[in-house]
Amino acid sequence: MDFILIAMILALLIPIYEAWQDNDIWQKMLAFASIATKTSIMMLVVSVLRDDWPIGVVAVIILSVGNAGLMLLAHLIRRMNEI
Amino acid sequence: MFWPTVLVVEKQHKMIDIYTYVIIALLPLAALILVFQVNPYHALVIRAILGAVASLVYAVLGAADVALTEALVGTMLAITLYVVAVRSSLVMRLGILEEVATEKEQYFTELIANLRQVVNEHHLRLELVSYPNSEALDNALKNKEIHATCTKISPQDSESEHQFIYQTAIRVHHLFEIMQNELTLPTTTLNYINLSHQEDKH
Repeated sequence: MDFILIAMILALLIPIYEAWQDNDIWQKMLAFASIATKTSIMMLVVSVLRDDWPIGVVAVIILSVGNAGLMLLAHLIRRMNEI
Repeated sequence: MFWPTVLVVEKQHKMIDIYTYVIIALLPLAALILVFQVNPYHALVIRAILGAVASLVYAVLGAADVALTEALVGTMLAITLYVVAVRSSLVMRLGILEEVATEKEQYFTELIANLRQVVNEHHLRLELVSYPNSEALDNALKNKEIHATCTKISPQDSESEHQFIYQTAIRVHHLFEIMQNELTLPTTTLNYINLSHQEDKH
């Protein structure tokens, strides 16, 4: 089942490249959203592969917290452009 | 039960899987991208990405509690506080009169746009603060509430040189040097106001 994780790592490289190359801050935020979701889904896959419940619980918490952090950051950056 | 060490992984799997190495290799990659950022806001977004990758690495190595702490503190709390700090410190406050602020003259909007462009190249923000009269404006500059003032030159002064319409007084020397070198519009004079004989903190 390792090939699933290898494929997910390859998919993770795409937003990392985007965050590196694009100079627009909103494109970077999009890449961050993509990476935050992908990493926590990868944690979930690892927890299922290893039958490790604690990691699964933590992955679900990180999946929701990542979105909350993204919303906070987006609001702060949006207000910076308005003033 | 939480075991924040690699030992758990090795107990369950005698051989460390190949994808573990690939995931760990993502961490220095994200760190290198972070180091080469110039704009502070871009660097903070990349730092958030580094936090997400780091928490993935910790979770894969079996340290679920460390991964949760990295996601909560390293990615959410630290980045939010740093964005607030950078946003309120990297700013140039320009004091103007209310009557100038309300009139929509073309020279003035051009001048503000030019100032904003110069300041943005140095990753600063331009914040306009309006004051009711010129004494309040001078007092604000003396009390270091603002970094610079922009006022209209009265017509009898500017008869000799017609192209100057506004005068800009800056009290921060480094900002003055930047403006002197990079401001392209010739519609304003630039003055440096030295307030260093008072207790100097800016």
